[in-house]
Amino acid sequence: MHRGQQEPGQATASVADALVEARSAAETTRLTVDLLARGRVTGPVADTALLDQLDALDEADRALTTLVPPDVTSSDRRTEGLTTVGDLTDVVVQAREWVAARSGGDLAGADAVPADADALLDDLAAATDAVEQALSEAGGP
Amino acid sequence: MKKVMGAALGILTAIGGFVDIGDLVTNAVVGSRFGLSLAWVVAVGVVGICLFASMAGRVAAVSGRATFEIVRERLGPRVAGANVVASFAITLLTLTAEIGGIALALHLASSVEPRLWIPVAGLAVWLVLWRVKFEVMENVAGLMGLLLVGFAVALFLLGPDWGELLRQAVPPSPPGTEHAATYWYYAVALFGAAMTPYEVFFFSSGAVEERWTAKDLATNRINVLIGFPLGGLLSLSIAACAAVVLLPAGIEVSALSQIVLPVAQAGGPLLLAVVIVGIVAATFGAALETALSSGYSVAQYLGWSWGKFRRPAHAARFHVTMILAVLLGVGILMTSVDPVMVTEMSVVFSAVALPLTYVPILVVANDPQYMGRYVNGRFVNALGTVYLVIVVAAALAAVPLMIATGAGS
Amino acid sequence: MTRERIVDARLHLLSRQVLDADGEPVRAVDDLELTGPDGQEARPGEAVRVGAILVGPSLFTRLFGGAVLASRLPRIAWSDVAHVGTAIELSVRSDELDADWVELWLRDHLVGRIPGGRHDPEADG
Repeated sequence: MHRGQQEPGQATASVADALVEARSAAETTRLTVDLLARGRVTGPVADTALLDQLDALDEADRALTTLVPPDVTSSDRRTEGLTTVGDLTDVVVQAREWVAARSGGDLAGADAVPADADALLDDLAAATDAVEQALSEAGGP
Repeated sequence: MKKVMGAALGILTAIGGFVDIGDLVTNAVVGSRFGLSLAWVVAVGVVGICLFASMAGRVAAVSGRATFEIVRERLGPRVAGANVVASFAITLLTLTAEIGGIALALHLASSVEPRLWIPVAGLAVWLVLWRVKFEVMENVAGLMGLLLVGFAVALFLLGPDWGELLRQAVPPSPPGTEHAATYWYYAVALFGAAMTPYEVFFFSSGAVEERWTAKDLATNRINVLIGFPLGGLLSLSIAACAAVVLLPAGIEVSALSQIVLPVAQAGGPLLLAVVIVGIVAATFGAALETALSSGYSVAQYLGWSWGKFRRPAHAARFHVTMILAVLLGVGILMTSVDPVMVTEMSVVFSAVALPLTYVPILVVANDPQYMGRYVNGRFVNALGTVYLVIVVAAALAAVPLMIATGAGS
Repeated sequence: MTRERIVDARLHLLSRQVLDADGEPVRAVDDLELTGPDGQEARPGEAVRVGAILVGPSLFTRLFGGAVLASRLPRIAWSDVAHVGTAIELSVRSDELDADWVELWLRDHLVGRIPGGRHDPEADG
């Protein structure tokens, strides 16, 4: 066995753990965007919440990149995990720009900023579904 | 009328002062992952802290001396020395977590990042310790901490399924997605968060600061027996908010910003603002208490002059100790360590340090030379013995569980 | 003339609080320096007197063993002790004690220099 490799089951479980964290970040983003759109939460709190979730996604990404999968299955799960987490991160970054635009930043018309909350939530839902899919394939809850 | 006001103030400050960053974070994490299936731990912790805070207060009121002085005299310098080292270390860790909590809460209130708030928070804590009278400090922090009742308000506004919440709590039914070991790890963490070690020496030293006598014992008992359980209910409402909004969404709490989202959902920006002010006040008050406790423990062990009732120049070593503790806390936080992680460490290690801080109180409260006729009655001793077992069990289980679950991940 | 009293050194002296003439805490008794009847070094098997109360580094030697040269330790002469009760009360004020040098140094050079350091908290409302 090569040094640093885990049992296949363990490696897949690690992928699942990282994806659980990613899903939590996705749901937090959804909740935050929804609350801000309805005027329930303040700009600073929303921005902080999304920044914290970007940190969490960073952590999940790092957990996946530093994994050494011992077999094909776990390697595929890891690749899938990385892709979905990366896509999700992009959407959360967009969400944060949307929050900044709403709070009066000079971002109107920038490519990265979604037109409205609904468009953003749709992108988010798609990214979240991908994460869920990857999670269930990795045997997660 | 004045007596009623005084009593009310005592109870209100006990409630407002109950929740600190450890309670806030741990209850929210537990609520988001386990629902209310760990509510029983909060109940056990509340009874425990009532027991020991009232004993510590009684010891100080009757003997006129604070805990560590008596521990040193009764149990000898070696036992007391081990106690002081452990207490100081855990109190310092808790102080660091509290200052971090102030900075995180101020970040929520503004767009200024926590790192810039940390030195400001440290300086503010020191200024209050330097100049503000003990009673004023306690009352203001305690009353403003009461704003955390916003969590209870939020819970009602959310209109939860009370039946479901009750079902999670009694009998404790953890979700199937979590391991048993993780469940017990968080049970220990929640216990450590409720039974904060610094509370014992803070309470007894505070009794000396405010010059309690045996006549104040009844007030002490009322404050503790009404205030702390209500504070416990406040903790539970934080967990319940997370259980109602975050748990079904699969959100696992890892940041302060997530903890306030249920409040925003329930009551909008106004309730959110109220709760954030409450968090700043509660963590600030707890930072004051832990800084003072670090000073009290060292000064009382070594026999230095101590106390906020003295001119700082006449308690120089005491004040220098506190300044150093605050500087150390600020220094640790400026290394960009995650304050939430520091908080989680502090509650688990609080559980580990518990026996060292509580056993001496139990021993001294039974000593007729210091307590006269106010020694522990049989009921208190029976309860005290039960808690001795619980406290030791939690302390022994803490680190193995932490290793086995990877600190709850 | 003071009455004579039998006092157990371990129980009533060691680790007890030392208070100065104003009742302010000074230090805890960390150790005792015992001397022979005429003030020279104590010899086993012979009568001893308490020469001084030792504070500071003597705490470490008491906890962990070992020895430090006695003449270099901070000490409070036994002749300065006025009364032995639940605490040990001195007849001198802490400002006059060499043994309290840490507190006095910090007072003069640090705490006393910060604005408000000499302010009496009980004085204002």
